Amino acid sequence: MAFNKRSLITLGILAIITVSIYYFFTGKGITYIWHWEKIPEMLFYHGAKSADDPIVRLRMGVLMMGFVLTLKISIASTFFGIIIGTIVGIARLSKEPVTRGLSLAYVELIRNTPLLVQIFMIYFFVGSMLRLSAFAAGTAALSIFAGAYVGEIVRAGIQSIHKGQMEASRSLGMSYAKAMRHIILPQAFKRIIPPLAGQFISLIKDSSLVSIIALADLTFQGQQAVARSYYTFEIWFTVAFLYLIMTFTLSMATQYIERRLAISD
Amino acid sequence: MIKASNVYKTFKTPGRRDVKALVDFSTDIKKGEVVVIIGPSGSGKSTFLRCLNRLEEIDSGDIIIDGVNINDRKVNINKIREEIGMVFQLFNLFPHKTVIENVILAQTVVRKRSKNKASEVARGLLKKVGILEKENVYPSQLSGGQQQRVAIARALAMHPKIMMFDEATSALDPEMIGEVLDVMKTLAREGMTMVVVTHEMGFAKEVSDRVVFMDEGQIVEEGTAEHFFTNPTHERTKLFLSQIL
Repeated sequence: MAFNKRSLITLGILAIITVSIYYFFTGKGITYIWHWEKIPEMLFYHGAKSADDPIVRLRMGVLMMGFVLTLKISIASTFFGIIIGTIVGIARLSKEPVTRGLSLAYVELIRNTPLLVQIFMIYFFVGSMLRLSAFAAGTAALSIFAGAYVGEIVRAGIQSIHKGQMEASRSLGMSYAKAMRHIILPQAFKRIIPPLAGQFISLIKDSSLVSIIALADLTFQGQQAVARSYYTFEIWFTVAFLYLIMTFTLSMATQYIERRLAISD
Repeated sequence: MIKASNVYKTFKTPGRRDVKALVDFSTDIKKGEVVVIIGPSGSGKSTFLRCLNRLEEIDSGDIIIDGVNINDRKVNINKIREEIGMVFQLFNLFPHKTVIENVILAQTVVRKRSKNKASEVARGLLKKVGILEKENVYPSQLSGGQQQRVAIARALAMHPKIMMFDEATSALDPEMIGEVLDVMKTLAREGMTMVVVTHEMGFAKEVSDRVVFMDEGQIVEEGTAEHFFTNPTHERTKLFLSQIL
C-alpha cells in the first residue's frame, strides 16, 4: 500500500509546517509586500539590452545568467575534480613513499583549510602571477578543493575491491595500469557513486563562494539584484530554487546511473 | 619447464612472528607433467604457486621458467604471466563483466587479439568447459562450479604453456567439485603442464604424474599418487593422509 499510517503522519507534519510558514509571512509578525511579478524578468525578458545592443529578442535575465555561470563552473570543476581525485586516490596507495607522501600532504592541506581562503589565494596570488581570469581561478580553486575529497573517496573505493581482482588481472599478464583501468577502477567507481554524488552536490553549493572574487555566479547575481531592487525574499527563494534544480537533477542522474550499473549485481 | 632451486620466502608482518613459507625449496617440473602439491594449510603450497608468477617475490633462490629467470630485473613479468594461467580458490571473476567479456578481456588488452578473434577463442573455450549457454550472464548469476569453469576458460584463453590451480575446488559445494575436476582432468590428458594445489586425492590418482607432499615450507615426500596411497614413508605424510582420506 502506497499510503500507510506513517506516510499520513509525514504528510500531516508537512502540512503544519506549510501553514506555519504561511502565517509567518502573512501574519502580524512581518509586513512584507511580495513582488513575485518582478522575478520572471530576472530569468528571461524580451527586449533590448542597452543602446549598444538594441536588438529586441528573448534574453537571459541576471539570475539566469548567474545560473548558467554556476552550471558551467560546477561542471568544469566536477570534471577536473574527478581527474585530480582519481590520480590522487591512486597515488595515495602507491608503494613509492614520495608519491604517497605528496598526495597525503595535498589531501590534508586542502581538506583542513577553508575553501574561501583557498579561493582568495588562488585568485589573488596564483591568479595574478599567471594572469588567470576570475572564472579560471574559481574553477581551479573548486577543482583542487573537490580533488582532495574525491581522492579520499576513490582511495576508499579502490581499497574496497577484493585483492583477488588485482591478482587475477595481473596473473593474466595485465600491467598494473591496465588492471586499474579495466578491472579495479570500474568496480570502484560503481561502488563510490553515492559518496561522489554527495561530494558534487556539495561542490555545486560551495561554488557560491566564488562570488567573493566578483565572479558573476548565481549567488553574486542574486546579491546584486537584491541590492538594486530590495526584493530580498523573492530573489533568495528563487536563487535557492535554481540551486535546487541543479543539485536535484544531479541527484536523480546519479540514482539513474546507479540503477543502470546494478545489472551485474 | 619450471626449475625452482633453493627458494626461500618468509612473510614478515610487523608485530607478528615471521612465517617461513618456503625453506630451501627446490623442484623440477617437466613439460607436460601434472604435479599435485598436497600438505596442511600453512605448509607453503600456495606460496610456491604464487612465487611462480611472482604474485609473491621470493627472498632468495632461483625460479627458471622456460629458460628465463623470472626474478631477473630485466625480465618483463607481464610477458611471463601471459604464459602461466592461474586459477584461484575464490574464482576472482570480474563481476562487472559478463562471462564472455571475462574471457575476452585479457586476450584483447594483453595478447592484442582482435575482438572477433578473441570472441571466437572465448566461445570455443566456454564450450569446452561446458558453459557456453551462459556467455551473456554476469558471474553473480552463476553457481560456484560454473564460475570456476569460466575462470579456467579465462586463463586458457591466453593459451598459456603452464596452468596453476590454487585449491580450485576448496570453496565449492561438494556436488560442484566434480564438474570442475572433470575440466581439469581433460586438460591434464591433453598434455598441459599443470601445477595443482589440491586435497582431491582422486584427481591426483587419476591424472597426476607426481604428488609432492609439503610441510613447513619444504618437500617432505614425493612420488606417484600410487606411492602415497600404498606406502607413504614419513610419519608426517601418513598422519596427513589419514586426515584427508
